[in-house]
Amino acid sequence: MLQHIVLFCIDRFRGERSLAAIDHLLNGKKTAQTLQDSKWYDVSRLFGMVPIDRSRLFDVARALEADGFISQVDEHIYCTTASGKEKLRRFILPPYIDGWKYMNESSLFWKRLSLLIQTIANIIHRTSFEPIHRDEHIQSFVKRWLFQHTHIKTLARSLYEEMYELLSYVEEKDANIFVWRLTSHERIGWTNEQIAYAINEEDVAVLLSFQNVLHFMLEMTEKEAEKFPLLYSLRERKRSQLTSSAQKTWELLKEGYSLEQIAQLRGLRKGTIEDHIVEIATYIPTFVLTPFLEESKRKRIIQQARQLKTKKLRAIKELLPDVSYFEIRLALARWEREDV
Amino acid sequence: MFDILKERFGYDSFRIGQREIIEDVLNGQNCVAMLPTGGGKSLCYQLPGYILNGSVLIISPLVSLMEDQVQQLRNRGEKRVVALNRFLSYREKRDVLRELASYRFIYASPEILQSPLLIEALTRINISLFVVDEAHCISQWGHDFRPDFLKLGLLRQTLGNPPCLALTATATRQVIADIVTTLKLDDVKQHIYPLDRPNICLYVQYVQTVEEKITTLKHLVAILPKPGIVYVASRQWAETLSEVLREDHRVSYYHGGMDGEQRLLIQQQFVYDQLDVICCTNAFGMGIDKPNVRFVIHFHLPTQPEAYWQEVGRVGRDGNESIAILLYAPGDEQVGQTIIDMEFPTMEQIVYALNALRHGQKETGLTDVQQRLLLYWLEQMDKQEHIHTLAKQLYARMEQRKKEKLTKWIFMQRWVTGHTCRRRSLLSYFEQQPLKNERCCDQCGAHIHANATIERIQQIQLRPWHEELRSMFAIKVGNK
Ligand SMILES: [Zn+2]
Repeated sequence: MLQHIVLFCIDRFRGERSLAAIDHLLNGKKTAQTLQDSKWYDVSRLFGMVPIDRSRLFDVARALEADGFISQVDEHIYCTTASGKEKLRRFILPPYIDGWKYMNESSLFWKRLSLLIQTIANIIHRTSFEPIHRDEHIQSFVKRWLFQHTHIKTLARSLYEEMYELLSYVEEKDANIFVWRLTSHERIGWTNEQIAYAINEEDVAVLLSFQNVLHFMLEMTEKEAEKFPLLYSLRERKRSQLTSSAQKTWELLKEGYSLEQIAQLRGLRKGTIEDHIVEIATYIPTFVLTPFLEESKRKRIIQQARQLKTKKLRAIKELLPDVSYFEIRLALARWEREDV
Repeated sequence: MFDILKERFGYDSFRIGQREIIEDVLNGQNCVAMLPTGGGKSLCYQLPGYILNGSVLIISPLVSLMEDQVQQLRNRGEKRVVALNRFLSYREKRDVLRELASYRFIYASPEILQSPLLIEALTRINISLFVVDEAHCISQWGHDFRPDFLKLGLLRQTLGNPPCLALTATATRQVIADIVTTLKLDDVKQHIYPLDRPNICLYVQYVQTVEEKITTLKHLVAILPKPGIVYVASRQWAETLSEVLREDHRVSYYHGGMDGEQRLLIQQQFVYDQLDVICCTNAFGMGIDKPNVRFVIHFHLPTQPEAYWQEVGRVGRDGNESIAILLYAPGDEQVGQTIIDMEFPTMEQIVYALNALRHGQKETGLTDVQQRLLLYWLEQMDKQEHIHTLAKQLYARMEQRKKEKLTKWIFMQRWVTGHTCRRRSLLSYFEQQPLKNERCCDQCGAHIHANATIERIQQIQLRPWHEELRSMFAIKVGNK
C-alpha cells in the first residue's frame, strides 16, 4: 500500500517536486508550499494521511527504483516509468479519504466518538473504566453530551443504528478495522500496528482503511445530518456551520421558496423558519436581508440599538412599534457580524 | 483520617510509612520521604488535601505522570484538580488562574512554574502543602537531574514557606542532603523506609551472544508466570523483541516514538490484562500502578542503579512472589558506554548550539535534556564572553557530568559481573541493608520458578464488526 501511495504521489508530481514535498504532503505539514502543491497536483486527499519517517519514505523510493517503477531525474526527484504507470492502473485510493477537507475535524470527531462509545458500553454493562482519551475537553464534551440524553438504553440503540447503517456501506474489512480500534467494556481498542499484525496487512493499509471510514462518516453526517443526528451532534460546530435544520431551510431559500412556502413544505411552524433565517443571517455573510427586512427599517433598528446601547429586543421594540421581533433579530444578527 | 482513607480512597489500612508521614504533614512539619516504588507515595499528600485548608501544590517532572495522577483523582470523583503544563493554551491558563483558589490539588511542571503570572497567582492563594514529587531530580547526583528543580527553593520562599513534602523512591544519602538544602527545609523530618522488596527475586542470567539472549528470552517468557515487562535500551529493540515474542503470546511494544493515543491503548491493554508482555523502553512504567506484574526482564543492563531499581520495583506490588531477571552477554559493556556518550554533546555541537542561541534560533540541535542543562549553566556564566570560551567551560561541565554517569555505569558493571549477593550489593549503593529474604538472588542460590502448567493464553478474538458493535451496545441478536 505504501509503495502504491508513494508511486501515486511521484506520478502526480510529474518529476517537478522532490521526495521532500511528498514527505510534507503525507505528514500534513501546513506550509504555504505544501498547501499549494497538494491542490495544484491534485493530491490533497492524501494530505496528512500517512505520517511516516522520512527515512522510510526514502527506503520505499529506493525499492520502487530498483524494481523499475520510477526513475531518477534529479537529486531526490523521480518520475514514473511505463511499468510504474502500469502498476498504478490497478490502484485506487480508498474512496472516501479526504485529508485536506477533514484535517481540522477528523481527529476531534474520532476522539469524541470513541470516548462516547467506551462510556456508553461501560455504563450499560455496569463496568468501571478509565477514559481512553486524557484530554479534558474531550472528556467534558462527552459528559455534557450524555447529560442531554437521559435514557441510556434508547441512546445506545439509536447510536448503534446510526453506526450500523454507516458501517454497512463501507467494505467489510474497513468496517472491521474501524470497530477494532474502538474501546468497549470488554476490549481496549487495538492499535493500527496490532490490527495489521492480526490480519497480516501493512500498517499503512490499516491506517488508510480507518481514515477511510472516519471520513466517510464525516461526509455522510454532513450530507444527511437528519438521518444521523447523534453522530452529527458530535461534530464541531464552526461559526460558519448551520444546524442541520437551518441548513435545509437555507437550501430551500436559495431555490427561491418563500418563508411561508418553506414552513408549509417542511411542516414546521413559521416561527421555527424565522429562527433559521436569523441563524442564516448570522453565519452566512452572502445572505441578503432585503426580502425579509427593508433597508430603511434595518437602519432605524440599528440606530435605536446604538442609541440605547442595548441588544434587548423588547427595549427596541417599544420605541419602534411598527417593526416585528423577527425584523429586529435579523438586523441585530447582521449588526454583530459587521461589528466584528 | 481513617474515614477519609476508607471513603475517598477505598483502603482499610495504611501501607508502610504512610501514616507517619501523613501525621507529620498534618502537623505542618517539613518532610523528606523515601518510600519504595509502588508504596503509595501519592496518598501521603492526597489524603492531607482533604483535611488541610487551602490548596496542595504538587510539582512533578513528567507530564505523563501528572496526567495519570490527575486521571486517578478524577476517577475517584475529585473535580477540584488541575494540571498546569506547557500543553495548556493561553486561554485555558488564564481561566485556571482566575479560579486557582478553588482547586484542592494543583499539579504543575517545574517549567511552567517559571511563569511570573502563575507565581503571582499562587502567592494570592493559600498553599497548604508544597509537594515535590520525584525530588531526586533536584540533585546533580541524582539519576535524573533537572535544573528547573533547583529554582523550587526560591519559589517556596516566594510563596511564604508553606510546609513541604519532598518525595522520592530512590535516592542516596547525598541526594537526600541535596534535597534538604535546595528546598531550604529547616527542622525537617526524614522518613527513610527500606527500599528492599523481599518478594522480588533478583536473577542475572549470563549468555554468550545476542542470539542466545533472544532464545533465552523466548524460553523465559514461555515458562514464567505472566504478565511481565521486558525492558530494552532502544525503540528498535522494543519493536524487534515484540515481533519475536508475539507469535506465542499477546505481546506489544511501547516507546516514546508512538503517538499518545496508541501509547495509552497499549498501556491500558496491559493494565486490564489484555496483554501478557510489553516490550518497552524506560518510557513505560511511570505512574502505572499494576499490582500483579510477575516478572521484569532487562534485555540490556541499565546504566544507573537508581533506574534499574525503579524498573525492578514495577513487579510484585501485590506482595506475591515475583522475579527480576537481567540478561547479560559479553560486549554489553559497550552498549552502556555508547548510551552515555550519546547523552552528551560534543564540542562542535555545543558551539553550534551557542551560535544558534545567540541568533535567537530555536533549533539548537541538542536534545531536551542537554539543552536544559546548557541553559541552566549558561545562566551562571558571563554571556558576553567569546563563544569558544563559553563552549570550553560548558564542555568541561558536561565532561564532569559524564564522569559521574560513568561512575554509576561502572557500578552497574561490577554489580552484574560480581559474585556477591545481588541484593546486598545493590542496596549498598543506597546505603541500605537487605531485609531478610528466602529467595534472594542467583548468587544466594535462588532458581527461576517455571509456571506449574504452561497455560495457553486465550487470545481475545477479534470478531466481525457487527458482532462487536452489538456487544458494545448490548443489542440482542435477532433484532437487526
Ligand atoms: Zn542474595
